[in-house]
Amino acid sequence: MEYVILSLTLLMFGIYGLLTKRNLLKTLISIEMIAAAASMNFVVFASAVGNGLGQAFLMLALSVDTAITAIVIALVLMAYREQKILDIWDLSKLREK
Amino acid sequence: MFTYEDIFAMFLLVTAFLALHLKNVTHAVISFGAMFTALSVLYFSLGAPFAAIFQLVVAAGTIAVFFLAGEMLTPKNEKPQGFRSKALAVLVAVAFSVPSIVLNLETGTSTFAHDLTFRSALWEFRALDIAAQGVVILTLALGVAMVLKERKKEER
Repeated sequence: MEYVILSLTLLMFGIYGLLTKRNLLKTLISIEMIAAAASMNFVVFASAVGNGLGQAFLMLALSVDTAITAIVIALVLMAYREQKILDIWDLSKLREK
Repeated sequence: MFTYEDIFAMFLLVTAFLALHLKNVTHAVISFGAMFTALSVLYFSLGAPFAAIFQLVVAAGTIAVFFLAGEMLTPKNEKPQGFRSKALAVLVAVAFSVPSIVLNLETGTSTFAHDLTFRSALWEFRALDIAAQGVVILTLALGVAMVLKERKKEER
């Protein structure tokens, strides 16, 4: 099993979702996937050299990632509540107001 | 023959692809949660138990928030997605998982290898980062509390 190729495939799925999906939550899921693929490499390479630094980096990266996700979900909910927007292209409407 | 790691890698990619492909956001979020679980199992198999547990705990919180948001934002009169479309998505994801299972990259031996435990890596190398992150998360929590308080004041 090759973990690097696995993380590359996951990264590819994330980029595919980011480019093709217009739903705001799906876009956020795609970004999370890209983050998960990147974080996976920390653990994979750290386990290859046999030290715990990769796990420490993963913990730090995941904490930041979760905080960002919380903020973005709050923004998505606010956009929906104020403007009934769920489509990422419709976000430009906010600029006109 | 397939090892359990191969099966979880395949499961990871299938659930990741379904999370993007499923039209119903709630179903997509459930699939996304399954993806995080598979990722956690793979971390455990890589010999990183702390990362596995942390990933699982963080994912549980993230998925709960995603689930609530998905439930709130899914229209009730949505057209159901056909079985053929879902099956095709699974097949595509399985096809994409084949290279990671079959291929084997020769990486050679590392000269960087040294025994650094998780605890010493965390507290000796990244102690400042952890303190800074604590401040950031505390600020976030305080910000949320202040926004909620302001809103309550406005409602009155």
